[in-house]
Amino acid sequence: MTDGRVVLVTGVAGYWGSRVAAQLVGRPDLQVMGLDVEASVNGIKGLDFVQADVRNPLLADLFETAKVDAVCHLAFVEARRPDPVAYDANVKGTIHLLEACAEAGVRKVVLKSSMAVYGAHPDNPAFLTEDHPLRGNRRYGYVRDLIDVEKFCTGFAHRTPALRTTILRFSSIVGPQVDTAMTRFLREAWTPSLLGFDPMMQVIHEDDVIRALVHALDHDVPGVFNVAAEGVMPLNRLRSLAGKRGVAVAHPLAYWATRALGAAGLGLQRYAPVHLDYIRYPWIGDLRRMHEELGFHPRLDAEEALRDFAARHRGGPYPSEPVWLSRDEERLQGIIDVRRQAQAEQGGPSSVAEEGEDD
Amino acid sequence: MTNDRGGVRCQATTQGGERCKNWAVEGSPYCHVHQAVAVEPPPEQASDEQLRRQLLSELDRLVTRLRALTPDYRPPTFSPQRLVELVEQSLEELPGEVQLGIVERLRQAIDQGWFEPETWKGMWYMLNYTLQYNAGLVKHRFTGDYEADPWGLDWEFLDLVRPILTFFYKAYWRVEATGLDHIPVEGPVLLAANHSGQIPWDAAMLATATLTEHQAQRLARVLYPAWVPKTPFLSVWLARMGQALATVENGSQLLEQGELVATFPEGDEGLSKTFRNRYRLARFDPGFVQMALSQEAPIIPVSIVGAEETYVTLGHVPMLSRMTNLPHLPITLTFPWLGLLGLLPLPSKWFIDFGEPIPTADFGPDEQTNLVLVAQLADRVRHAIQTLLDDRLVRRRSVLFG
Repeated sequence: MTDGRVVLVTGVAGYWGSRVAAQLVGRPDLQVMGLDVEASVNGIKGLDFVQADVRNPLLADLFETAKVDAVCHLAFVEARRPDPVAYDANVKGTIHLLEACAEAGVRKVVLKSSMAVYGAHPDNPAFLTEDHPLRGNRRYGYVRDLIDVEKFCTGFAHRTPALRTTILRFSSIVGPQVDTAMTRFLREAWTPSLLGFDPMMQVIHEDDVIRALVHALDHDVPGVFNVAAEGVMPLNRLRSLAGKRGVAVAHPLAYWATRALGAAGLGLQRYAPVHLDYIRYPWIGDLRRMHEELGFHPRLDAEEALRDFAARHRGGPYPSEPVWLSRDEERLQGIIDVRRQAQAEQGGPSSVAEEGEDD
Repeated sequence: MTNDRGGVRCQATTQGGERCKNWAVEGSPYCHVHQAVAVEPPPEQASDEQLRRQLLSELDRLVTRLRALTPDYRPPTFSPQRLVELVEQSLEELPGEVQLGIVERLRQAIDQGWFEPETWKGMWYMLNYTLQYNAGLVKHRFTGDYEADPWGLDWEFLDLVRPILTFFYKAYWRVEATGLDHIPVEGPVLLAANHSGQIPWDAAMLATATLTEHQAQRLARVLYPAWVPKTPFLSVWLARMGQALATVENGSQLLEQGELVATFPEGDEGLSKTFRNRYRLARFDPGFVQMALSQEAPIIPVSIVGAEETYVTLGHVPMLSRMTNLPHLPITLTFPWLGLLGLLPLPSKWFIDFGEPIPTADFGPDEQTNLVLVAQLADRVRHAIQTLLDDRLVRRRSVLFG
C-alpha cells in the first residue's frame, strides 16, 4: 500500500482516537494504524484497524511486524471514582504499551494527560510549570490514574531514552462535540460557583487538542508540556462567555452536600469539573514551554473557544442536531467507502491501482 | 544696538515684561531662547482666543459623542458648588502636588476670564457622566462581564475600591510617605516591609502609597500568605487588586514582567505580634531574596510605623483560630469585648519610609541557590528595615498625631 512511517493510534474507537486517526489518514506521508478493543470503528477511510487490547502480550510482535514508528496513546477510560477495571485499563494498559514500544523499537510515544494532575490547591503558584509536583485529587478516578501513569512514564523515560515520550497536559477541554468534565459542568442550566471564590481558569478548544497531538507526532519533542489556549480568565467570566448563569453556594455547604450525596450514591460530581476544589483554587499551567520548546500555538484563544462552545449549546443541555448529523454522515460515508473498496478488491486486482490514485 | 562683536540684542520681551538682554542669533532678530517666538509670532491675545475656540469645539465634539452613546442620559441641573465637589472627587486619585497644580491652573483661568459658562457646563456634563459610569460598573461586575489579567488583576475593581483606600490613607491614618523617589519609574523592584497590626491594613496602605503618591503611580503587587486563597471573598478581592500568593515562583515571575512587588518577609509571624513586641522584627523568610536575585531586582527596605498601634494585641487563642481556620485570632483591647466594633482599627498616625535600594544585580541569577548569600542579604535587608523603624520611632512624639 502506501509508503511512509507507521503511526499507531490506540483507543481509536473513542472520541479522541477516532478524531486523531481521521486527521492523520488523509496524509500521504503516513500510514495509520488503529488499535482498540471495540470494533466499532471501521468508519475511518484508509485506517488499518487492529482489534486488540493494549494489555495484549503480543503487542510488541505486532509493532515489530508493522514497523510502527510512533504511537499516540489515547485509550483511557474516564471513571469518576477509583475503579479497579479502569485502573487496570489505564495504568496497566499504559505500562504494557510502553514496554511493548520499547521492546519493538518504536521511536516515539505521545500521551494525553490533563492539568488536573497538578491538583487545585490554595498554595499553587499562579502559573504551574511542568516540574511542579503532581498533587491531583486522588479521589477522582481518572485524575488518580493519570497521576500514576505520569509517574510511571517519568521513570520509564529516564530508563529508556531511545523511546521519546511526549506527555501533553491539557487544561479543561471545551468544544461543540466533546464530552469532558468542563463541558458537563457548563452544560447545566445553572452552573454553581462557591460563594466568595472566583479562581482563574484556563481552557482549550477540542480542535486544538487534536492539533496539539498531531503536532507532537510530527515533531520530536520529548518531555512534558502544559497545553492550553491563550487567555486566563476568572470562572465568572468563563461562565458568562459560555452563556451560562451562575448560582453561588457557600463552600462549607457545597462540600458537605457533595460528601453526603456522594455517600448516598447520587453524586454531585457533574456540578463541578472534577472536584469542588477545582472551582475554588487556581490550577493554571505555565505555557512558556508549549510555545518555546514544543513550538505549538493553539489556533483559538480561550474566549473564542468558549464562544464556539456557547454558540452550539445555547439551545439547552443537548448539542444541536447539525453537529451530530454531519459527523454521522461522515462516518457512514467512510463505511460505504470501505465496503465499496472491499467489493472492488473482490472484483479483481485492479483495485490496487485505484488506491494508488487515492493517495 | 550693535556691540564690538557686531551682534544685535534680542528684540523679544521676557516673561517679566523687560527687554531681553541676550545677544541675538546671527541672521535673526531674536536670541536662542526666543527662537520659538521668531518662528511663530502671533500676538498673545489672538493665541488665547484661538485656544479657547479650539478647546470649546473639542469639548462640543466630545459631548456629541457621549450623547450618541447614551441618548437617555440627562445631566442634573448645573450648580457651581456641586461642580467643584465633582472636580475634587475626580482629582482625589492624583498625587497632592498634581492636584494643587490643576486647581491653581483652573483658578488662573477663571481670573483671566478665559472660560465661558458653556465650557463649565461641558465639564459638568463630563464629570456627571463619569459618576454614572462608575455606578454602572458595580452592576455589570455581578454578571461576570469583566476582564482580568492572567494574575487576576482587574483595574475596574481597583478603581471601585480606590476611594475606600484613599479615605483610610488620607483621612483616617493620615499616612506620610517618604523616600518614594527610591522606587524607579519602571522595571522590577522588590519592596520588603515590616508587617504588623493583626489585619493586614499595612499591605493595603503600602500599595496605596505607591499607587497614589509615586510619580509613575506604580501598582505594588503585594504577595499574600497561603491562608488568603482559602478565605472566601478576600481571595477574590485581593486577586482583583493585582496581588498574588507569596511563592518564589510568583514573585520571580512578576519581577520578570517588570512589576513592583511588595513582600512582608516576616509573614504571619510579624502580623500576629503582640503589643509588647511591637516594632521588633520577627524571623525573616529568605524566599524574597531569591525572588530578587533571580531577576536581579533591587530590594528596597520599607518601614511602616503606626500599624502596630491599630490594634493593641494582648495575646492569642490558638484553639479558636484553629476552629475558625484563620491563621491567628488575637485578643486585643477592644476585640472580642466590643464584638465586631472591636475590629475597627485605631486611627493612629502612620509613616511609611522607603529606604535606599539594595542592589542584587552584581551577584547574578545563579546565586539564588547560594543559601549563605541569601541569608546574608536577608539579614542586611532586615537590619535596614529595623534601622528605618528605629529612626522613625525616635522622631515620633505621639501615636495619634505623629
